[in-house]
Amino acid sequence: MDSSNDEALDIIITNVVATFRTRCHLNLRTIALEGTNVIYKPEVGKVLMKLRKPKITASIWSSGKIICTGATSEDDAKLGARRLARVLQKLGFKVRFSAFKVVNVLAVCSMPFAIHLIDFTKNNRPIASYEPELHPAATYRIKHLKATIQVFSTGSITVTGPNVQNVATAVEQVYPLLFEVQKPLKKKEKS
Amino acid sequence: MSRAGLSCPGCGSSDVVSDDLYCQAQMVCVDCGSVVSEGALTHEPFGGPEISYSRTTAVAKRPCLNLIKGLQRVTAICRILRVNKEIEDLSQTYFNQAYQHRSFIKVTFQKKEVLAGCCVLVSCRLLNWPLTTGTISCLLDADPMVVGAVYKEMVKILNITAPIVNVADVVEAHSQEYKISSLHVPEELAENSKDLTKRALALVELAADTWIVTGRKHIPIMMAAIYLAWQSLKPNKHRLKFSLEKFCQVAKVHKHKPALKRIAEIKEVLCKLGKEIPWVTEAVTPDNVVQQVEDILQHRYSLLRRALKTHEEHQVSCEDSLTEETAPSQTSELAEQTPNVSAVEQCEPDTERAQLPGDGCAVSELHSDSQESQDPAPGWGKRVLFAPPCVIHAKKRRVEQPEVKDVTGDEEISDSEIESYIRTPREVRDFALTQKILEIENS
Repeated sequence: MDSSNDEALDIIITNVVATFRTRCHLNLRTIALEGTNVIYKPEVGKVLMKLRKPKITASIWSSGKIICTGATSEDDAKLGARRLARVLQKLGFKVRFSAFKVVNVLAVCSMPFAIHLIDFTKNNRPIASYEPELHPAATYRIKHLKATIQVFSTGSITVTGPNVQNVATAVEQVYPLLFEVQKPLKKKEKS
Repeated sequence: MSRAGLSCPGCGSSDVVSDDLYCQAQMVCVDCGSVVSEGALTHEPFGGPEISYSRTTAVAKRPCLNLIKGLQRVTAICRILRVNKEIEDLSQTYFNQAYQHRSFIKVTFQKKEVLAGCCVLVSCRLLNWPLTTGTISCLLDADPMVVGAVYKEMVKILNITAPIVNVADVVEAHSQEYKISSLHVPEELAENSKDLTKRALALVELAADTWIVTGRKHIPIMMAAIYLAWQSLKPNKHRLKFSLEKFCQVAKVHKHKPALKRIAEIKEVLCKLGKEIPWVTEAVTPDNVVQQVEDILQHRYSLLRRALKTHEEHQVSCEDSLTEETAPSQTSELAEQTPNVSAVEQCEPDTERAQLPGDGCAVSELHSDSQESQDPAPGWGKRVLFAPPCVIHAKKRRVEQPEVKDVTGDEEISDSEIESYIRTPREVRDFALTQKILEIENS
């Protein structure tokens, strides 16, 4: 059975988290004073800066390490990070954009069928685990891809992985396993 | 200070002084310097030191006291829950194994107690005794999240695969909590616990078949089922006026807010099925569906089949752009197709015919709209009669901007964009001034 079926599955990336370094110390007070769209959190020691385009929130630490969240693609994340570095440059810091790395990608995907979670867990022990009293989804971890897939009985799945390629591979890998435990959408006729 | 009566054994002089220079008090002869007597280095309690010599030099390892206490706790929990001997033995074995493991040997006492509860839980699951994590957390007076985390870790370490608890198994145990029998409440509100459990179980099974149970916590569903079962066993005005809050007060249980939503969802499903009852002439609404619950539950499988078939017919007829003429012919087809429906055989084709086209016209517009605008994958909830509430009311995903697709990440960034993120010097001064003023005002 082919892992991809007639209609292509729509994998929607909802969040990309990336980090980079500016290789210089940043004065958070200056950023909070002279930057717009910033929130200063002195108790934690960071500044949150929100960019409008692309829609990104960045946590800036005084050591020069910055974490960007909220992007919808890897390229978007890179563009947003570079914009941020330019803003900091304009504010007067000797910024060098370096060590950009996408750390986490979160995607959701909707199967066109419902899934029988108990059978799914039985077929895939011990990689899959399901505790209905704790969380309504079954968790499937693919070690070599470092990806975690949460499978809900309605057919939606959420995938987290270190990059977009891994996420796509993970969905491809798990699709046949889900296909074989699908629940018919209509209630089966009881005789 | 020389002591009378002491003489030095070395030289015989009686000039013996007490020397307190060192930690040990000594009596020393002044003339020759020899030590006459020494004080004790330690102050040992009466009867010998607290840690006995025999204990510190014991060869065989004695069992850890906390392990023994933990095992006793396991036994206590088993006795409280009145489980059988097998479960007790199994949980003790598991506790022994888990306790010795490095993840659990050095944790807090609270965690060890939670571990005891989790061992009982997993043994009950393996031997088909319906027990929920909620009950265990209540017994241990621990946070359910903590219990869950310890349970997951323990199962991983001990490599156990436990079957999953079904809601239907727990209904009976849960309904015992409700003090609604004739011993506790006045006659008009009382219900026999057996009848109540039976009806609640039927309602829970119906909910499970129609996507209300999956992904939800057990207790609110059971609470909703028991409340509706109680109302429907004697659906008089007095009982129907009782709200969930009042019912919980009377039955002396703690009310759960999600139960209200579950009640609404179950009533919706009952209405959908109630519409299919042939001898009901008036419209079935959530307000008057409780009276029909007995009939609905008795014939629920046939009603479900009819509802699904009716729904299918509507869909097919909508796709063929239905007119009034075709509806009755499909209705008669439907009537022929269900000869095996037992009590519902007395169906009046007239009543049906009157009902369906009315429904058909209203529903056809809805279906043609939804089918044109929705693509199959996210919209399966709209095409099917019973679907999980999260699929029916699916959240609208934010639409991606088309320009974003062409982003490479290495483009040029214009200065004007960046300027918008930086305050002008004048703004900076104003901002700093405002902050100072606010600080002065606050202090």
